[in-house]
Order: sequence, then C-alpha cells, then structure tokens
Amino acid sequence: MGGILVVLTLQGGAATPAGLDLLGLAAEIAQVDGGEVTALALGEGGAGAGQGLISRGADAVLYCADPALARHPGEAGMQVLAQAEREVQPDLLLLAADSVGRDLGPRIAARLGAGLVTEATSAALHAGRVEVTRPVFGGKAIARMAATTAQAVITLRPGAGAARAADPSRTGTVRELAVQIAPAANWPTVVRREVEASSGPRLEEATAIVSGGRGVGGPEGFSLLHELAQALGGAVGASRAAVDEGWVPAALQIGQTGKAVAPDLYIAVGISGASQHMVGCARAKTLVAINRDPDALIFDAARLGLVGDYREALPALTRAIRELS
Amino acid sequence: MHVVVLLKQVLDPEIPAKAFDIDQGRKAPKVERAPQVLSIFDGNALELALKLREARADVRITALTLGPQQADEALRKALALTCDEAVRVDAEEGALDSHQKARLLAAALRLLEPWDLVLAGRQAADWEAGQVGAMVAEELALPCVPFVSRVEQAAEPLAVRQQLESGYAVVQLGGPAVLTVTNDETNVLRAAKVKDVMAAGRKPLRVLQAGEILADLGESAVEVLSLALPPKPERAEIVEGGSMEEKASALARRLRELGAI
Ligand SMILES: Cc1cc2nc3c(=O)[nH]c(=O)nc-3n(C[C@H](O)[C@H](O)[C@H](O)COP(=O)(O)OP(=O)(O)OC[C@H]3O[C@@H](n4cnc5c(N)ncnc54)[C@H](O)[C@@H]3O)c2cc1C
Ligand SMILES: Nc1ncnc2c1ncn2[C@@H]1O[C@H](COP(=O)(O)O)[C@@H](O)[C@H]1O
Repeated sequence: MGGILVVLTLQGGAATPAGLDLLGLAAEIAQVDGGEVTALALGEGGAGAGQGLISRGADAVLYCADPALARHPGEAGMQVLAQAEREVQPDLLLLAADSVGRDLGPRIAARLGAGLVTEATSAALHAGRVEVTRPVFGGKAIARMAATTAQAVITLRPGAGAARAADPSRTGTVRELAVQIAPAANWPTVVRREVEASSGPRLEEATAIVSGGRGVGGPEGFSLLHELAQALGGAVGASRAAVDEGWVPAALQIGQTGKAVAPDLYIAVGISGASQHMVGCARAKTLVAINRDPDALIFDAARLGLVGDYREALPALTRAIRELS
Repeated sequence: MHVVVLLKQVLDPEIPAKAFDIDQGRKAPKVERAPQVLSIFDGNALELALKLREARADVRITALTLGPQQADEALRKALALTCDEAVRVDAEEGALDSHQKARLLAAALRLLEPWDLVLAGRQAADWEAGQVGAMVAEELALPCVPFVSRVEQAAEPLAVRQQLESGYAVVQLGGPAVLTVTNDETNVLRAAKVKDVMAAGRKPLRVLQAGEILADLGESAVEVLSLALPPKPERAEIVEGGSMEEKASALARRLRELGAI
C-alpha cells in the first residue's frame, strides 16, 4: 500500500485527541506496509504543531491556516484537501468522525470515486487492505467493511483510542501547503459563531456528568440532576429523547450524534441505554445507571446500577455523596 | 422556492435487540416482518422544510426517496404532512453503496429542477453511514452545509444554524445547496392530521425507473465482509438495600471505593 493522508483539525495550535488517534492508527498501518504518513493540519498554528504531529506518528506535515477555512469550512476545506490529495496521492485518507471529517470525508470519497467507510471504531490492515469494524443498526449488529477500490477513505470515531505516546526522536518534514482559495459567490459563509454558554464545567471537560433521559419525565425533573451534578462538581447532559421532548437544549445531547464525553463518572438517569447514546459516554471511567426497570439495556453497559425511581434515588444519592465528601 | 427532502424508509431503530436477527446470506438484517419507519433525521429534515414553508409563503416541498415499492410509505407520510409532491426512484437500494445511491438521487434531482434547497438527514437510522447527503452535493457540484438544525433567517439571503461540537454557527447561503439535518428541540417531526392522511392516500406518486435516469451505476466501492450480533456484555453490579436511602448510601460507598468520587 502507498501513503496515508491524515486530515486533522488544530485547536489552540495543537492536535485534538481525535487527531492523535488518527495519527496512531496511520502509524500502525504504515509500520506494516511501509507507506508514508502525511498529516494535513487545518487551522492556526500548523508550523508550531508540526514537530508534535511527527512525534505522534506523522512522517510529513502539511499545514494550512487560510482564513477562508473559518469562513467557509466545507468548501474551502474541500479545496485544501483536494490539493493535498493531489500532492500526496495517498492510497488511504483518514479523517475523524467529527464535524470536519463527517463533512469532508463523503465529499472527497465521491470526488475521487474512492470507497468510503465511516464511523469506524477500529481499523486494521488485512491482506493489503484496511478492514474496518463499526456498529450499525444502533449497535444491534457489528459490521466489518472494506473498500473494494485501490483508494479508500475512512472516518474514525473519536475515542477509538489508537493514539501513540510522543516519540521526540522521530523526524520529518513540515511545510505549508500552497493553495489558492478563491471563494465562489455561492459558497455558504459562516457569519456568526456562538460558543454555548453553560453554568458549571463544559460537558467535554467535566469530570462528572449526570445525564437525563426520557425517564426524567419533564424539564422540572432536571433540577434533581442539577443538584446531584453540583454536589459532584460536574455538569448535566441528556439523551436525544430528552432533547426531542424539548426539556433541555440540543447542546446537552450526548451520543453518536451529540457529544462524545470522557468523564471519570457518568451517571445515566432514566436512560434506556440505546447504543447511539452509549457511544457518547463509552469513555467514561465509571458508568452508573439509575433506572426503574431492572431489565433496562443500560445495565449491560454500566459498571454500577441502582434500580428505582430517580425522583427518590437522586435526592438520596445527593445527600449520601455530600455526607462522604 | 422549491425544497426537495430526501427521505428513507428504514427498519425501525427502536425495535428491541431481541427482535433483531441477521440474514447471513445477504449480510443484512432479516426484515420480513419488522416494522419500517421514516428514518429519524429525515423526519427532522421534513419538519425543517415545513417550518420554512410556514415562514415564507412561496415554498413548495417535494419528497424524494430511492427504494422498492415499500418506500412509498415514507412518501405517503410526507404527503400526509402536506408535502406538495412525492417521487420515488425505483431500485433495490439495499444492494447499492452510498455513492451509487447519491448518483441516482442526483440524477433524479436533475429531473426535478429547478429547486433551491435539498435537505437530507445527517445519517440514516439503519446503517448509520452519514454519507449520502454530502455525496449528493458533490455529484451536483453544489455546496453542502452539514448538521443544520434550523433556519435562522427565512428571507433572502437564507441563513441556517449549523450545530458544532462546541456550540453553533450561523451560516448564510449563497444559492442552491444541500443541507444535512440534525435534530434539536425545534425540529421534532409533527404528527399528521387525520384529514390530511386520508387526502394523502389519493395523491399521485411519481415513480422513476433507476435504469432510465442513470445509464451506468458502476460497481459498488464498498464491501460488507461480515455482519454479526455484538458479544453479550456483562451486567452491572446492582446496589442492594431495603430502602432507597440504603441503596443510595451503598452506591456512594462503592463509588468512593472505585475512586470515582
Ligand atoms: C442514527 C441515530 C442517531 C442517534 N443519536 C443519538 C444520540 O446522539 N444520543 C442519544 O441519546 N440518542 C440518539 N439516538 C436515539 C436513541 O436511539 C434512543 O432513541 C434514545 O437514546 C433514547 O433516549 P432515552 O434512553 O432517554 O429514552 P427511552 O429509551 O424512552 O428510555 C427511558 C428510560 O427511562 C426509564 N425510566 C422511566 N421512568 C423512570 C423513573 N421515574 N426513574 C428511573 N428511570 C425511569 C425507563 O425504564 C427507560 O429505560 C439516535 C438514534 C438514531 C437512529
Ligand atoms: N434510499 C434513500 N432514499 C432517499 N434518501 C436517502 C436514501 N438513502 C439515504 N438518503 C438520504 O441521505 C441521508 C443520509 O443517509 P446515509 O448516508 O445512508 O446515512 C438520509 O438521512 C436520507 O436523507
């Protein structure tokens, strides 16, 4: 197999955990087949981040911080990616299954006529091609898939956990990608960005999350979740069902199509345990379920469970935790 | 303004795992008796279109699906929700990869021109690929805005809200585009009125033959090597106690022992 092009977005001038997973996976594949790993770093700080990306598995780094990327993420992103693809001519393009990769992955695959497998939870080289494993049908089945084309595109779910420790002895080239972006009149333009406001820690950074589902029964019930979250110094999240009911804003949604979180403690309250929810909290160190149905699916995923009505369980648990601390 | 919404009829994602079985020959679920529903994000896309039509009088909505005759159910539902037209591309879509589906849908969209917006779900609720919407945009050489949850400005220039990991962006459109729709608290699909359901049964559905709108479908670029049930997980340790106070204390103690608090 030839080279691998890894597409990653820089945040605050550094790779995200999802980006480091991509590099780790690419390095693993390259180790077997001898191909070169090129990282395409999008966003501010590419020159400074380059050596860090090499220490994590890249052999070469191309970076681009053209301001058009912020104003027209999709269309400018496609121009940058297409240019990098032309230069590197990779056999495999690896992107994160995040807002950037889920946007660009299908488009570049369609443009190149390359086979695309999205939302991989793992990927490995078998007999010269990369086989991907991913849950489908809400986790009721696991599929193994592969591209049948010479060139393949894969998006990897955040949390796939392939990142490597930094190896500062690794060397490689870092250069800016030369690309002229001429925005067309019909390009969508970002005119405003709102970073969500929240009291308490942000979900992605919270060490404890109390998450509510349809079983909470209404917006009022969420106040009990807030009290427990406060006692834990944590944040409140939700399932899609709670968002759909209009009890909490969409920014709180955790899951495959919401946020992926990794707290030390995740307490799921009145959530049944659909896999589309569980992939969002699978990286929690300790998962607790509070559900009145002893047969609820969520007890398959949780480490600890309490069977009962949350309206009684949460106040009691909040008190017990306050007493311990 | 003409809006086309891409709708897919799928195996009900809410059926319990016990009711789910795999046909190993086809590497697909057994669906003979399983209930089919409109894919959930497609419902959100449809609701977004209906809201847009409420916000401005000139909107006309076409529902477009690709699938066998059974997919007509999705179109009937769309008509019952007062979509203006419904079109099905007749094909065994289960055998196609995302790019082939996108090419067929793009071919149908060319026949339905002119339109201003194409709405798709961000991801179908069966194989959860999240590919077809963006690929349709690429086939039509149109811009694509993913993860749209609502219209921020219905008057020209149209602006939409795009959900991002850490909040949202307001994105202004510069002409025809494909939007892939995600859920939020404003776009839960409404229920159809009984009288509209009756009327929908009488409205015509237009059927296009796949072979007539696209001569060469090409080969599938993706192969399913295996489809298997997931391994049986271990059940949680359930805390015991005579009263809720006891259970809660036991839970707090276990959390302390595990170093979680
Ligand atoms: C493609 C796709 C993507 C999706 N993405 C997401 C996603 O990102 N995030 C997400 O969350 N979902 C997602 N979903 C939806 C998901 O499949 C489920 O429908 C959803 O997670 C269910 O939410 P829930 O568990 O809150 O509700 P339910 O399934 O209705 O469960 C409610 C639970 O509450 C319990 N309960 C009821 N009353 C009480 C009480 N008083 N005390 C204690 N327990 C009680 C019940 O026993 C039950 O287990 C997605 C679905 C699809 C098809
Ligand atoms: N067979 C189909 N007919 C109509 N629309 C489809 C079809 N398949 C996918 N789509 C659209 O594309 C979206 C994403 O699908 P997917 O890429 O399969 O996850 C869906 O939510 C639909 O809006």
